[in-house]
Amino acid sequence: MKGYHDIVGDGGSGILEQVAGQRTRIADGLAGVRHLVAVGSGKGGVGKSTLTLHLAGALRARGLRIAILDADFNGPSQARMAGVQGALFVPGRHKVALPRTRNGIAVFSMGSLVPESEAIEFESAAHGESHTWRATKEFALLGEILGAFEWGAIDLLMFDLPPGAERTVQYADFLGPRTSFLLVTIPSEVARGVVARSVAALSKGPNRLLGYVENMSGYYCRDCNAIRPLFVSPLGAEALAKAAEPSGLEIPCLGTVPFDPELSRHCDTGIPLAALPETPVGRALDNVAQQLLDSLESTSSASAHAPRELRPG
Amino acid sequence: MKFLCVPCDTPMKLQTVGPPEGGSLSVVYSCPECGYEMAMLTNAYETQIVQSLGVRVGPDIGGGASTRLRAEGASAGLAEASAEAGAAEPTKCPFPAMIPATEGARSGQADEPVPVRWTSGAEARLANIPAFVRPMARTGIERFARERGALEVDEQILDAAREFFGM
Repeated sequence: MKGYHDIVGDGGSGILEQVAGQRTRIADGLAGVRHLVAVGSGKGGVGKSTLTLHLAGALRARGLRIAILDADFNGPSQARMAGVQGALFVPGRHKVALPRTRNGIAVFSMGSLVPESEAIEFESAAHGESHTWRATKEFALLGEILGAFEWGAIDLLMFDLPPGAERTVQYADFLGPRTSFLLVTIPSEVARGVVARSVAALSKGPNRLLGYVENMSGYYCRDCNAIRPLFVSPLGAEALAKAAEPSGLEIPCLGTVPFDPELSRHCDTGIPLAALPETPVGRALDNVAQQLLDSLESTSSASAHAPRELRPG
Repeated sequence: MKFLCVPCDTPMKLQTVGPPEGGSLSVVYSCPECGYEMAMLTNAYETQIVQSLGVRVGPDIGGGASTRLRAEGASAGLAEASAEAGAAEPTKCPFPAMIPATEGARSGQADEPVPVRWTSGAEARLANIPAFVRPMARTGIERFARERGALEVDEQILDAAREFFGM
């Protein structure tokens, strides 16, 4: 009697071919994207989305062509922050054109499609079983978005990842080795511990870890025009700084970014900073953007498959 | 999953896929040698395993034997999306049910806007995009057309919208 592998094809269901076709559509859709960078952490609330948007803005200001995919389908925030809530989606000849911020960053966020008052639901076959399908459905949705929207010829596509160390690894697995990772932490031992876990998990795979950014590294006080401490470790600042290395963040630090209430206000009202202001926070973000760019370029120069320079657009 | 006719030692071929009913699919296979038919009846969990992958069971022959897998909870949304697309082929997208507010907003308007026609070319472009984006895209494009005094959406309007929004 024949075995499974003796039979060519699947009798007509075509499921394997469709899954392969999805992969091909994704690869074709991203063929013109020079760099894929996932901004993750593992920890929630550390400012991944804010950093993603403002690093994108800083790189856009350098003339690079940038797109953001808000991969946090359950808590999308890029639509509000980037000012593309309720934006128009226009069918192109084959794919969907992406909404753009005023400074020209293309953004896909479920927040453009689903009002904040509505939950984003993934249907389940039975009550109490949604956990069984959730990740599969989310990644099928991610695949559909990657394959259906016009990413075009751009320098950088940034993925704003959801929290969760295990999710970070799932995205690495799904997006493949082309995608590099930038991790975000804050100066708290709890956050560092979670990020260290993400580093350890990602280090087992082929994806490149570009480095980490320490966000909320103090706050910018406009009254005294100085950076004040935001998180105070019982061990003291020096001990906390030293603790970073033994705790496992053995990847490059691309910079520290203080918290700025003004930046937060901009995010809430959907006003992306077209030009980063001359403040310590603006300079810090600009510095991290340059470090990121340098890191990506060093990746490119090391890769025989990506000899082109980043092109202003 | 493959099916083998044991007496003939021949792979069976998919014949028809019944529409989802109660979260179950009826998939009929037959043996090309002896003509013996058998049906695979899925439970809701098995249906959802494949549905979660965003694929369809069966040959793509324009909605005949081809059936898009879907769970009970998504049925209404899918039906709306298919009708909305104006196409006989069932939608390929399993996610339109995630966008409840958009449809509600379209039908719940107190002052019905002036109807806008879609040319076949523009409709084809709309049908080519994921179903979960389609209702919002249609609403937005029609508004864009009305604001310019157009009562028909054609491909020029679509291109004008792209140009206008800097896409």
